[in-house]
Formats: sequence, structure tokens, C-alpha cells
Amino acid sequence: MDRIKGYLQNNKLAQAILICVYVLTTSLSLYLLQESVIAFLLVLFSLYLLYLTNFKNSIKWISAIFILTILVPYVSSQGTAFQSYMDVSTLVGIYVAMALGLNIVVGLAGLLDLGFIAFFAIGAYTYAIFSTNQVTHFIHTNFFPLTGNSFWLFILIGGIVAVIAGILLGIPVLRVKGDYLAIVTLGFGEIIRIVFNNLDRPINFTNGAQGISGIPSPTIFGYVISDSSQFYYVVLAILGIVILAVTRLENSKLGRSWKAVRENEIAAQSMGVHLVRTKLLAFAIGASFSGMMGVVFSAKQMFIDPTSFTMLQSITILVMVILGGMGSVPGVILGAALVTILNLQVLTEVTNYLNQLTLDGVISIPTALSPAKMQRFIFGMVLILVAIFRPQGLLPAQNKKVKKEDLVESSIEEHKQTISI
Amino acid sequence: MNDVIQSLPQVLIDGFILGAVYAIVALGYTMVYGILELINFAHGEIFMSGAFIGTAFLFVFSGLGLFHSLPALLILIIVLVLTSVLTGFIGMGIERVAYRPLRKAPKLITLITAIGISFLLQDIVRFITELKRGNYILTGPSLFNSQHSIKTHSILSSFGNAQIKSASIIILVVAVIMMITLDFFINKTKWGMAMRAVAQDRETASLMSVNVNKVISLTFFLGSALGGATGVLFAVQYNTIDPYIGFILGLKAFTAAVLGGIGNIRGAMVGGFLIGILEMFASANLSTITSGVLGSEYKDVFAFAILIIVLIFKPEGIFGKSVAEKV
Amino acid sequence: MLKISNLTKKFGGLTAVCDVNIDIEAGSITAIIGPNGAGKTTFFNMITGVYTPTSGEFMFQNESLVGLKPHAVSRKGIARTFQNIRLFSSMTALENVMVGMHQHLHYSVLSTLLHLPTFKKKEKMAMKKAYKWLEYVGLEELYNEEARCLSYGAQRRLEIARALATEPKILLLDEPAAGMNPKETRDLTNLIYQMRDDLNLTIVLIEHDMKLVMEISEYLFVLDHGEKIAEGKPVEIRNNPKVIEAYLGKSAVTTA
Repeated sequence: MDRIKGYLQNNKLAQAILICVYVLTTSLSLYLLQESVIAFLLVLFSLYLLYLTNFKNSIKWISAIFILTILVPYVSSQGTAFQSYMDVSTLVGIYVAMALGLNIVVGLAGLLDLGFIAFFAIGAYTYAIFSTNQVTHFIHTNFFPLTGNSFWLFILIGGIVAVIAGILLGIPVLRVKGDYLAIVTLGFGEIIRIVFNNLDRPINFTNGAQGISGIPSPTIFGYVISDSSQFYYVVLAILGIVILAVTRLENSKLGRSWKAVRENEIAAQSMGVHLVRTKLLAFAIGASFSGMMGVVFSAKQMFIDPTSFTMLQSITILVMVILGGMGSVPGVILGAALVTILNLQVLTEVTNYLNQLTLDGVISIPTALSPAKMQRFIFGMVLILVAIFRPQGLLPAQNKKVKKEDLVESSIEEHKQTISI
Repeated sequence: MNDVIQSLPQVLIDGFILGAVYAIVALGYTMVYGILELINFAHGEIFMSGAFIGTAFLFVFSGLGLFHSLPALLILIIVLVLTSVLTGFIGMGIERVAYRPLRKAPKLITLITAIGISFLLQDIVRFITELKRGNYILTGPSLFNSQHSIKTHSILSSFGNAQIKSASIIILVVAVIMMITLDFFINKTKWGMAMRAVAQDRETASLMSVNVNKVISLTFFLGSALGGATGVLFAVQYNTIDPYIGFILGLKAFTAAVLGGIGNIRGAMVGGFLIGILEMFASANLSTITSGVLGSEYKDVFAFAILIIVLIFKPEGIFGKSVAEKV
Repeated sequence: MLKISNLTKKFGGLTAVCDVNIDIEAGSITAIIGPNGAGKTTFFNMITGVYTPTSGEFMFQNESLVGLKPHAVSRKGIARTFQNIRLFSSMTALENVMVGMHQHLHYSVLSTLLHLPTFKKKEKMAMKKAYKWLEYVGLEELYNEEARCLSYGAQRRLEIARALATEPKILLLDEPAAGMNPKETRDLTNLIYQMRDDLNLTIVLIEHDMKLVMEISEYLFVLDHGEKIAEGKPVEIRNNPKVIEAYLGKSAVTTA
């Protein structure tokens, strides 16, 4: 086994051949067997295999982009399941972006935020309120409601509103001991849900438990992005930007401050790192990602209500980060993909399968134990097992290895400059 | 304003009862935090498990016809003892299996485990209940339903009369007995002193030949037993329970513990009563005070706001002292 | 350079440091010694902002720093290492040092996100500079190693490199030689001299290794039970009966 691994690690041609063969086989199977969820998942799995290879990063990225933007939509488009595949992929994209945001807070800065969904809700409701008739309940001008054109602007606005909320919450809480942050954020998540659930009286801001419907789809240069497959590209593009932003932030002074604060607060302070400001930045930036994706979510779903923003969702995002690997971008992407697919596809598929078996009289699984309902149990087990046995997650965070050439002076000019040491 | 004063006795009575529940649950949080500096997220679920286990016992005893032969109060006491022992062991087991292996790990990891256990318990109770009853919402046999009237109107004419269920009286009495017993145990017995010692300085306590692991196990047992017993009382008072009652109640109980000064036993008790009374007050009067803008649905928000305010102005709580970390 | 007057720290009923007066001259190598529990680290913690003094004053270059938080104290030019090593374990040696450079690295979040030329240039310079600090303490080969994987001696040196990266005027070393063998201690001694001479630093160290202390210090302060019981040149302190008593007990004095 290790011999095979060793051989593969050194032979890029072999890797390339294997991956191409894999992609071809799985794509072909999906093309022919449109209803096969397994084939679909296997095609997506090729991305993970791509990650494991030794190719240059640019090649990996180009291949990944090809697979995601051209291959997957094409081969899954032959049957009736197309929209549902695109739907799942779009949601995976949204949750991956959210999880990357939480990764900054929990993974990089070490702040346990258990109410992350609150910022998501804030973003979602901001767009929903101002782009539908909801706004006419409390502001009466011709300017509102806004159209789907404003979607792009609202991504920004949603992010900003979420940041403001994050800062307001963070300022009192981040000054005290970190243990309290978990409870406070948990409470905050609940509070936002309760508030949105009840804010239909005396002035109808959020339409309470009934939710807001008729949220317009985004339009770009007059073209309406109407169905799941088109929205898929929107989310993919946004996800690309998010990954870029998160990676850049991590490998900078700010990223190092976050990690320093996570590892040892007192040492970090003694090196000049402003503790509260650093934590607040992590909290606010994480909140902004959540808020922005909330806007995207509400535009995609076209209907939102408070039941989409519960503690279960906050913990779901947390499971994505923990399972994938705290602080690790590829890990979190994997974790988010796994959990979302688990939630949306695997659990329902398994439930259907078991129901079928029950109907056929093969085995009898009582409905109380149906997998689709066992989410909390599964998430609880995942959290406990990962925490005890593999706290670094599936794809642990890895330090950026610096190349020697970047560090050592070659020219005499630069040598003269740094001679001050 | 008149409404506020008139309802005050009722609010106070209800607040005390709710506060008693919060107080004892808060004790569980504060004891564990004092000794391990860990927020035991699963504690709310222990409380909830107690409610379900207690109700299950009541059903069993009712099915056995015991309610005809024995006084209901005696049955309740038996159920209380049985349930609290069971939940005590559950709590102890959780510490042994999930928290002890992680004692050297960063705090974040342990908190995550606690959340995992919390979720696990919620779902286990849910599917067991759903399996047995077809639904995860459970309604227990109603006991002690007679109402009594307290003639507060005669004290001050602007007060209305207050009503109190027999169940509530029993809860109050049992709760107070539990709190006094715990206080006595902590302050006057050898094991209680050991607990205080380990909470203050684990290393030194172990050097004084205190078996730290045993003390920690005992702390979890006590806190969980009390929490479970409170769950039974809660079930008796409100009759209908579901697997998710532990969550919000746990949050509020923790707020109470923080309010009283985390790690401080008496503080937790005071904090619990305070939060209970404040919440009842808000529930009864929020719409009157805010002229209908905010209704009683916001009473949970109220408790949360208290938490934030305490953290801003006095994070060490009413009775706590700020402790500097050893560098 | 550093003038400490009547500095006191009480923790509830316990007085850890009581009414201590210490003057540190610029460019000197000063040692603070005393038996365990004498309050030396508490003293360090007060002058680096980790603890707030209960009373008293300390002036750094004629400016009062009482009440400043640690990051502000660091920016004034006071750097330190820790008794129990406090490195950023999961970060590489290079990154650890780069955190030390935090206060001298200026670029905005925006330029980070857009990878503006300012960002790229300053990051590159920071990496090069951090490498130079690693070279200075002899750790240049380990720049990509995770801090937690380093040997004990290497970790201590990394802490020093990180502290130096803050470009301080005064360096506080808390038991830098703890757990070191004689060779390592000799290297440390040389390093301390080098730092004082090359970098124009004032050095204050807390140490238990008497050989190192006597060899390297120009001036000594002795603390016991939170109070200053003696100060002076090494030769004076060595024969000071109060010091001997503090370390070895009363009977040792009579036999000295």
C-alpha cells in the first residue's frame, strides 16, 4: 500500500492519468444514470482527489474550475434531476462560504461562536425586507421595494449590517474571558430568531413567523437569474472570491495576530498585539461573510422565515469547521461539503431506502429512528468523536512553508540595507 | 402602573418558583465551572433528562396502581430520589468518558465536546420518547393540582391576591431543602471542603492528598443529581415537557450563575431567584411598560440582556471576586 | 532608564510584591534574584502591564507606564521572555518572530485583500527581517519548523528572537537559562553580551543559575518575600548576610 503511495507521489504522469480516468468514468456514469446520486457525489469527489495530487497549484485550480463550471453542470443536465443537483451544489457553495467565515472566528482566532447563524439571518432579512413588499409596511416611498438589480449592492449592505451587529455584540463580550463568548453567542443566536419571529407587531418589520416571500431573483444587466443552474454560477463566483479573501487574510499580519491570540493571549499581547481589536476584527469579518451569504441565501430561496435560522443551523456550521479541520481552508471546504451533502442528500436517501425496505417488509425501522430526524444525534457524535480522537479535523491546518530563496539576500544592495541588524 | 402593583404578589410568587428551578440548575453550572473552569453545556440536558426520567417513573408507578395505595407526596419523594441518583450517575459518566480525557486539551475542544453531548442527549431522549409514545412531547400525570389563594390583598390594598398551586409549594419546599443541604455539605463537611479546595487550587489540593478525580466526580454527581431532581419538579409543575426545554433554561440558569458570581455557590442561588423574579416581572409587565411595543414573548431576550449587562459592568458577578491569571 | 518606586502588588490577602524600589541604568545588564516565590515574576508582570500594580510607580525613560496594557507597554520599547515558555506552538519559528514584528509592520486590511504592492513588499521585507533575527540566535535552519516541535533550548532562543523582533530598548529575560546545560548556558551568556553591545539594549534578567548571574551581571537586586533585601555589585551581594539567609536560612549565615 505504501509502495503504491510512494510510487504515485513521485509520478505526476500516473496521477494525471488516474485522475483523468476517474473523472471520465464518473462523469460518464452520471451522464448515463441521471438519477444516481452516488454518481453525482463521485464526480464531486474528484475534487478531493485533485487536492491530493502533487500538481502545481495553478493547474489544480484550473482543473477544479473546469470540473465545477463546465463538467458537472453538463453531465448532470441530461435528466430531470438536473435542477435538484444544481440546487444542492448551490447550497453547498453557500454553506462552504459561511463555514469559511466561521473558520476565521473559531479556527484562526479560537473564538467559539455558537450563534453564527444570527448574522446569516440578519443578512437574509435585510435583503428580503427591502426587496419585497415587506418594506412598505414601515417605509412609504416609491423608492422601495428595490428590484433584483440591487442584489449585488445588497451583498455589500448585508455584510455591513452584519458587521455592525457583530461589533455591537463583540465589544462587551470580547473583553471578558473567552468561555463566556460561547454562551453569549448562543444566546444571541436565539435572541435574533425570537426577535425576527416577533417583529410583526407593533410595526411589521419582519412579518413574524409567516416569513417573507416573493424575494426577487438577482438580475444582471437586465437578465434575470431565474433557476438553480444559473444561480449555481453566481454562488460559484462568490465562493471563489471568498476563498481568495480568506486565504489572503490568513497569510498576513492579521492572520498571524489571530493565530497568536488563539495560541497564547498573554504572549500575543506582550508582542504588541491589541487583544480586543484583533478579536473584534475576527468576529466582525466572520460576521460579514455570514451576512453576505445570508443575502445570497434569501435571493436563492425566494422565501425565508425564522425556522431557517435556528441553533441547529449554527451548530451545523460549527460541525463543518470542526470536522473539516479548524483553521484549515481545504479542511473546512471538505467539512462543509460533507455535512451539507449529508444533510441534504445522504440522510434523505438513506431514509427513503430504509422506508422502502420497511414497506417491503425486510426490516422495520420505526419512524422515530429515521435517519433524517437523527441530525442532532449524528452531529453530536461527530463533534464528540472529532474532539476526542482527531481534534485537528479531517484535513488539518498546515503552515505555509516559506521557500529559502525568499528569505536569503542575494544582491549586495539588499545586504547593505539590512545591515542595520 | 396600578396593574403592575396589583400583580406584584403573583409575579413574586411565580418568580420565586421559577427562580428556585433556575437556582438549582445554576448550582450545577457554577460548581463545575468552579472546579474545572468549564461551562458544562450538557447540564441543561441533564435537567431535561431528569424531567423525562421522573415522568417515566411516575407513569410506571401510576401504572402499578401505587397512587391508590401510597400518598402522592411519598411517591414524589421516591421518584425524586431515584431520578436524582440516575441523573447523578449520568453526569458523572459524562465527565468520566468525555471530559476527563480532554483535561489537558485546549478549552475550546472541551467546550465542543460538551455541545456534542448536549445534542446527543437531546436526540436520545427524543427518539426514546418518540418510540414509546409516538411523539416527543410528553405530558405527565398531573399531581398536586389544587390551587391555594394567598390573601396578599389584605396586606396592601393595591395588591391583588396571589394564586399558588400545591405543586408549586412542594417545589419551593423541596428546592429550598436541597439548597440548604448543599450549602451545609459544601461548608461543613470534609468532602465539601475538599471540593472548595480543588476549586481554588487543584495542584495544591492534590499535594494535600485530596483525590482530585474523586472530588471532580463527586461535584458532577451532586450537580447532576440536583439538576435532575429539579427536572422532576419542573415536570410536576408544568406537566408537559419536550426534549428541548433544557436548552433555553440552561442558558438562563447559566446567566444566573454569572450574575451571582461564577464559582460561587450562594451567588448561584441568589442569581437564580433574581433571574426568575425578573423574568416573571418582564413576562407580566413588558407590554404594559412599553405600551405594547414589546410583548411577553421577549422575556427570554430580557434574560439575555441581563447577561450582557452583567458582563459589561461587573463580569465577576454580585458575589464574585476578579481573579488574576497566573502568568 | 527604568525607575521603579514603591511598587506593590496585592492579591487579596497576599502581598506578592511590597514597596520595591529599583533603578535600572541604560545599557546595563542587571539581574534580579531571590528564592522561589520572592515575587520576581510578579514584578516583571507589573512592569510589562500584565498585572496592574496595587500602588507605586514605574517610569520608563521618564514616562509613567502604570496602568498601560501589555501591548501598549510593548510599543513603548519593553520586551520580555517568559518563565514558562509562551510560544505560538502551532506556528512556525519564522511566523513566531514575525508576530514580534507586529507593531512595526504597517499595512491595511484592504491592501491585504487586494495584495497591493505595499502589502507584498512589506511582507517580503518582514520575512527577510524575521529570518535575520533567527540567524542572530542561531535558529536559521529551523525557520519552517512548528514551534512546538523545537527542542527546549531552541524554544528558549526562539522566544528571545521573537522578543528582539519587537525592536525594544530594554529586554526582560525571565529565567532564560532554566533547564539549560553548561554549553547552552555559555552560548546564552555570549548572546546576552552580544545583544547588549550590538543592539544597544538594556538587559534585565531573573535567574536562579548563580554562576551565570555572577558572571554576567553588573548590578544585582535581591528580592525575598516580595521585598527588596539587598542591591549591589555581584561581589557585594555574594557576601551579604541577608542574602545568604534568604537563600539558605539563618544557620547558614553564622557558618559563613
